[in-house]
Amino acid sequence: MPKMITEQNLRALIDLLVKEGSRVVGPKAAGTMTLYEPLAAGEELVLTELPRRSAKEAFFPLCETILTYAKGEEGVQVNDIDPARFPETVLVAVRPCDAAAPGILDAVFSWDYDDQFYQERRKKTAIIGLACTKADDACFCTAVGLSPAETQGSDLFLTPLSGGGFRVEAVTEKGEKLLARYSQLFGEAGSAQPLPPAEPGGEKLELARIKAWLDANFESPLWQEIADRCAGCGACAFLCPACHCFDINDEGTEAKGARRKSWDACGFAKFTNHASGHNPRDAQNKRYRNRLMHKFKYYDDKFGKHLCTGCGRCVRACPVGIDIKAVLDEINSK
Amino acid sequence: MCDHSKNIYKPYLATIAELRDETSDIRSLRLVFQDEEVREKFTFRAGQFAEYSAFGAGESTFCIASSPTRQGYIECCFRAVGRVTDALRSLEVGDTVGVRGPYGNSFPIEEFYGKNLVFVAGGIALPPLRTVIWNCLDLRDKFGDITIVYGARTEADLVYKHELAEWEARSDVRLVKTVDPGGNGPTWDGKVGFVPTVLEEAAPAAANTVALVCGPPIMIKFTLPVLEKLGFADDAIYTTLENRMKCGLGKCGRCNVGNVYVCKDGPVFTARQVKAMPQEF
Repeated sequence: MPKMITEQNLRALIDLLVKEGSRVVGPKAAGTMTLYEPLAAGEELVLTELPRRSAKEAFFPLCETILTYAKGEEGVQVNDIDPARFPETVLVAVRPCDAAAPGILDAVFSWDYDDQFYQERRKKTAIIGLACTKADDACFCTAVGLSPAETQGSDLFLTPLSGGGFRVEAVTEKGEKLLARYSQLFGEAGSAQPLPPAEPGGEKLELARIKAWLDANFESPLWQEIADRCAGCGACAFLCPACHCFDINDEGTEAKGARRKSWDACGFAKFTNHASGHNPRDAQNKRYRNRLMHKFKYYDDKFGKHLCTGCGRCVRACPVGIDIKAVLDEINSK
Repeated sequence: MCDHSKNIYKPYLATIAELRDETSDIRSLRLVFQDEEVREKFTFRAGQFAEYSAFGAGESTFCIASSPTRQGYIECCFRAVGRVTDALRSLEVGDTVGVRGPYGNSFPIEEFYGKNLVFVAGGIALPPLRTVIWNCLDLRDKFGDITIVYGARTEADLVYKHELAEWEARSDVRLVKTVDPGGNGPTWDGKVGFVPTVLEEAAPAAANTVALVCGPPIMIKFTLPVLEKLGFADDAIYTTLENRMKCGLGKCGRCNVGNVYVCKDGPVFTARQVKAMPQEF
């Protein structure tokens, strides 16, 4: 029999998890925004908004310390970061477009060299997904092969019911364990009907066709047309659930400090700038081309996946109105 | 490789054992790993690179400039042009640096056995070939003729000057050194002319020969047609790409040329591979 959980019990589950020492991260009001942030109590959970930034920072923080160093009498001491310090985490009310992203990023953070910062957090995190019953004009998950009811990427998956509460589906073993462990909070779904999933508008994209065009069109006037507008602000990359470029920098003095890994963006002019001043991607059209190629060709060539879940954040945030879906539609129609 | 940490971003510590100013702003460092186990087990192949750090300033990417046949230390060579390289240059003998690596692919030296070698380098791009040159000279019997064509803008810009003299003195190496027109002083005993022109004059035979070319993009651009004219096939020409990197591990997303990750698929490529890439490097 399918299970269900009331909204009250979902909030109670968060309270219980927090009390037991887990880090619980979910949509929360943060100033004028909603962000995925650590929740202190179930009542903080916001169930109506798509958070401004994606959930990737639960695994891949905006900025994190990868080591510390100190210069003493006996030379330099480098101190490792103990992955044991990453807490058991439950991500709650994660939208399908965000829940799908870690499954895409696993490939780059584990090929050949394992990034323990990402992977340890992945291992210690359970994702409770939440189906979308509303979409806005920027949403296009269905166009890239996902959907507002997509369970892939979630461990437990919630679908709002017409009479209130959520139908609960265990997608993975991790999800089943959560369901069993907190069985007192879950009931039988009975005859309660789930609300219909949202229906993002827009044409479905033929990703193989887009890939074939990208394979053949490294040189195309399209790149310049888009780049004439692009301000190179990087907002798209910072909001994207699947962008993974980063920088490594030292903060501190020669005597003492930390080395940090921070988000970066291929749209920034200095991203690829050589020490000599030579820059392989010395113009914005080359940088935008790299962004789109990386998402729909290069990553596919390497890992058989594309770096986009159709969340629409880059479309909503772009200060000059560049709409990646419209760009993809154009390529799709070529 | 000694796995002393699961943290792939954690560098080994190394002490600056020697330093040498190659030019007014280019410096070589000889580094000895502080950990005995690392010192014994660190191995690399010619062509591989590392991330070198000056703590407090950050990391920079350079090739390992010494030969894998010379054990117990590694060397790097860099121009002081930014925050990290300025900081590295301010360090003294006995100071500590961080080293992560070795990363990337390497020159397939075993495939060169029995062949003649032509090295063509310009300016500060001699270090990635110097590792191969010494590697091959230390196994001299395994190779045929060895020709080195090396040039810089001026006499003062030539790196490894003492080694150029050493190679010049050897009977089993043909060194052709050159400086750009106007870069020669009154006592200059080498050629005057750009590297591609001097290479064409030197005209090394292409039969059973491999060419290894490193230099600024402009030099590479004009050298490849010369090699082609001399009869070198694209598969017989090797070069390295020197894109900006941060992680060196195929993750941070900045060194790619199309779908080729220079840090993982390179930095060593044949001319055939380079020609097949999008021309964005």
